[in-house]
Amino acid sequence: MNNFAYVRPNDIDSALNLIRTRPKARFLAGGTNLLDLWKMGVEQPQTLIDISRLGLADIAPRPDGTGLRIGALARNSDVAEHSLVLSQYPVLSRALLAGASPQLRNAATVGGNLMQRTRCPYFYDPAFPSCNKRKPGSGCGALNGYNRIHAILGQSDQCIATNPSDMCVALAVLDAQVRVIGPGGERVIPIGEFHRLPGDHPELDSTLQPNELITAVDLPPMADTKHAVYLKVRDRSLYAFALVSVAAALAIENGSITSARIALGGVAHKPWREPEAEALIQGVSPDHAPFDRVADRLLQGAHAYRYNQYKLNLARKSVIRALSVAVASV
Amino acid sequence: MAQTPSVLGTPRHRVDGKLKVTGIALYASDFKVDRLAHACLIQSTIASGTVIEIDQSEAERAPGVIAVLTRRNAPKLQALPEELSANGTPGESRLPFQDDQVYFQGQHLGAVIAETFEQAREAAALVRIRYQPGELRTDLLGLADQAIEPRMFGGRIKLQDKRGDVDWVWANMPQVRLVNETYSTPIENHNPIEPGAALAAWDENDHLTLHVSTRGVDLTQKVVASAFGLPIENVRIVCPFIGGHFGSKGFSWSYFLVAAAAARIANRPVRLVLSRPQMFDSMGQRARTVQTIGLAADENGKLAALKHSTLTHSSMIYEYTEPCGNLTRLMYACPNVQINHHLVHLNYTTPCPMRAPGEAAGTFALESAMDELAVKLNLDPLELRVRNYAEKDEFDQRAWSSKHLRECYDRGAAKFGWSSRNPKPGSTRDPEGRMVGWGMATAVYPANQQPAAAKAILSNDGSIVVRSATHEAGTGTYTAMTQFVADTLGVPMDRVQFELGDTQFPPAPVNGGSWLTASVAPAVVAACAALRDKLISLGVDGPSAPLSGQARNDIVIADGRISSAKDTSQSLSFSDLLAKTGNQTLEADGSAKPGDSYQKLAFFSFGAIFVEVKVDPDLGEVRVTRVVGVYDVGKILNPLLARSQLLGGITFGIGMALMEGTIPDMATGRMVNANLAEYHVPVFTDVPPDFGIEFLDVPDPNMAANGARGLGEIGIVGAPAAIANAVYHATGKRIRDLPITPDRLV
Ligand SMILES: Cc1cc2nc3c(=O)[nH]c(=O)nc-3n(C[C@H](O)[C@H](O)[C@H](O)COP(=O)(O)OP(=O)(O)OC[C@H]3O[C@@H](n4cnc5c(N)ncnc54)[C@H](O)[C@@H]3O)c2cc1C
Ligand code: SF4
Repeated sequence: MNNFAYVRPNDIDSALNLIRTRPKARFLAGGTNLLDLWKMGVEQPQTLIDISRLGLADIAPRPDGTGLRIGALARNSDVAEHSLVLSQYPVLSRALLAGASPQLRNAATVGGNLMQRTRCPYFYDPAFPSCNKRKPGSGCGALNGYNRIHAILGQSDQCIATNPSDMCVALAVLDAQVRVIGPGGERVIPIGEFHRLPGDHPELDSTLQPNELITAVDLPPMADTKHAVYLKVRDRSLYAFALVSVAAALAIENGSITSARIALGGVAHKPWREPEAEALIQGVSPDHAPFDRVADRLLQGAHAYRYNQYKLNLARKSVIRALSVAVASV
Repeated sequence: MAQTPSVLGTPRHRVDGKLKVTGIALYASDFKVDRLAHACLIQSTIASGTVIEIDQSEAERAPGVIAVLTRRNAPKLQALPEELSANGTPGESRLPFQDDQVYFQGQHLGAVIAETFEQAREAAALVRIRYQPGELRTDLLGLADQAIEPRMFGGRIKLQDKRGDVDWVWANMPQVRLVNETYSTPIENHNPIEPGAALAAWDENDHLTLHVSTRGVDLTQKVVASAFGLPIENVRIVCPFIGGHFGSKGFSWSYFLVAAAAARIANRPVRLVLSRPQMFDSMGQRARTVQTIGLAADENGKLAALKHSTLTHSSMIYEYTEPCGNLTRLMYACPNVQINHHLVHLNYTTPCPMRAPGEAAGTFALESAMDELAVKLNLDPLELRVRNYAEKDEFDQRAWSSKHLRECYDRGAAKFGWSSRNPKPGSTRDPEGRMVGWGMATAVYPANQQPAAAKAILSNDGSIVVRSATHEAGTGTYTAMTQFVADTLGVPMDRVQFELGDTQFPPAPVNGGSWLTASVAPAVVAACAALRDKLISLGVDGPSAPLSGQARNDIVIADGRISSAKDTSQSLSFSDLLAKTGNQTLEADGSAKPGDSYQKLAFFSFGAIFVEVKVDPDLGEVRVTRVVGVYDVGKILNPLLARSQLLGGITFGIGMALMEGTIPDMATGRMVNANLAEYHVPVFTDVPPDFGIEFLDVPDPNMAANGARGLGEIGIVGAPAAIANAVYHATGKRIRDLPITPDRLV
């Protein structure tokens, strides 16, 4: 690891000032992703700005008293166990608890989780010569390499990486809003616009600007919490990234599905939602809902590679299973 | 007079347990020395080619750097002599710094030595290397036509072997050819918790003390002394604890030679600890295997012919063959058997033994094929195995020293409830809709004994120290040997201190092949028996002896005392005996080697494993929900330790069956998952709550260590096949390629 400066500002303004003025500065939250990447040589910060003293760890209803505001520094485990999250947003709790290990969740934060980087091995290990995300223009080692965990939707010929986060898949169905602050003041980014598709700039994971700080995630109120599911398929029973995951949140009233929100994880550079797919079961009786068509529409245009062919089938079955479980849960 | 009841065979907690959980036990990298410097390896980032230039200028200027070790300034290492480098000897024969060739990713090209570990690591990242890339060999199947036919495994076991005439049966009896399938196992890495670690310190007289995590202190001493051209007594290897090895840490790996070389050029003690990614390229691995099994049988399931052909790989610099056919030769009665191994040299790191080398991967193939045969013949898989029961070792035409496998089958089946199994695949679902499958397999593992020696020392406070240059890998050596000492000398276990892992102690074999207890215990017993004799002599010989006049046969050694059986008033403690006879200490040596029966009989341990799996029908996730294993491993010396060994072994089997695999990138030869986030080993929830392990506990009459055959690796043998067979029974899908991850089932 290179030598670096460590600073721990006490307020947001100082933090923003530091990130703007110091060369190669990075925010340090739980450090569970940043330090790994640093040790591998993917990241080489010269200034580490510890943001743990910024007072951003609260979990409470939004200022208008509705919904929930989760501070960017709230620990993944605190969020998962919080009574309001358990009662109002159980899918978020389940997604968080499906991720990593207790030790990691105790350290990892909401902001850090939003920003965690892909697990593509060609990205993670700089000894691999080709990775457009790590070294723009160097090629994509995964395209013709070992691409078992890679994307089947929304990828480009520049990059076929997936976003590895469980939490973000749940945030996608909760229509979360990411609150950020930067030199130009505060702004709010809908979760669907927070992560981007790789396109010609796979080096950019998100639309967060270099000098911006995530302060919180806002969740609008949920009408129906009963029919919420997080399904994660993985290579061992715990402590493994998702091969494919599904977050589903349905509202069912008077024998019909009044709203359906479904997001797929592990298939794209961002959690994958498709309003047209969701519309297919809106207003439909849960007993006759065509979940297979929802799955097919969600996966429309999917394209697999040598080692991730299985994802086409697995994603389809996962969607159908998640929706079946969601309507069955009471 | 009451004899102290034997502590052998009783459940005993680990004597070193407290040291370990309180952090007092010192592992190789824990030792403290003055002026310690730290080394970080410089490794190749290509798999094949030549080093043109190593630019270390930036690294040399980095903060804290003491020296940069490369081929240019490395001490000249002597090529290893034939006895340490020939095929079958345990080690990479190419020493570091020998030439500028690169043979695999991560090859050691040097090291940076700095004041702190972090500085060494950072400076190592600043070293720039220019290469001339060479031809890249990464594709086992693509290069299969260049395979060689290796002759021997470990210099002992033939890798091309046959009895009868398999080809004739195959050619002339097509009606009985029933199974001809190919199975594969991936590259796997041992991943013990403790990484490879070395702490090297030279003194002014050219003596080297090397604390290193090794399961072969004596072998390491020979390799290091030979490489540095030193008299053997100039090198001392110390390793009181090993944080697991599972087959690694036994070879002559390059990293501890690099550590010693670094200490030499830095003129300071140097510590070198491998990182987790380096554990995937610097200390061996199990090579990938592609195995074809052919089975021919009559309608009653009696095997007529059996062929087992293995394609596997070694590195470019060493010949090591994963010996998958070893057990196939003798597991079942069959007149015609043919075993072949083919080896391709590839640009991957050198493979080495790992968790039942050959046996684990080989029985996955053979026992899967036997399951396929049972299905074809509409026979119960267990019944098929009983019909082909081997009454003797048909390969060497030797009788078994002791074999009670039938009883393992019977007890295991009864405990598991096997008789209620519906043979139809996919016939059972659990209440949650998961498919339930039951599978079984046979486990066999050779029992060996190697020569070993020990020294026993009684002190005037009555305590006893026994020493042998053996190893504690977490398996319980300290505890088991303490039990033997206590038992032989009639003292409580807490008066005994067993010491190991030091080349200054009497020699003991490399820890491997599950032979440690069977080899070292007889030596420990011999030393203690010799000490006992000396005690009796002190007690009775000569007119002034404290028990003068008593017959030797009437002397009882028990409870730390020497007493007359005839006259109970005639009794004194060991310390009084030493005091009265003017001795400070009393010492005795002992050694043991395999007896004559070793050549005449076949020594093996056996077991039967039954498992239940549940498989998600849509998502392909497999969970092992129940395991029953019944084992015939000879006498059980300590049921707690024995159970732990099997628990661990079977858990490794779960890992091998369902998740483990190191995956190379074919374009670069670099491993894509060289870390523990992506190389999956079982976590707690992968291990079933219902883990039924039983031992027959029948002593082997021809094993010196009270009839114990030693145990460890047998746990992983059979488990992967039993799981794969259960997956077939649950789903109707035969998965012949490990690991059985969800993608193979959806
Ligand atoms: C072994 C292992 C297994 C894992 N398994 C899973 C899994 O199964 N599922 C899963 O979802 N995740 C998993 N993770 C990933 C884990 O969830 C992330 O590492 C964690 O959420 C990152 O949070 P952190 O606070 O530690 O981030 P850090 O490492 O501190 O930061 C990550 C990045 O975010 C930036 N950042 C942090 N906070 C802010 C902020 N407020 N504003 C702007 N930028 C910010 C940092 O500068 C840095 O670039 C695993 C991780 C490991 C190591
Ligand atoms: S998929 Fe993306 S992250 Fe992976 S190698 Fe290609 S460019 Fe890099």
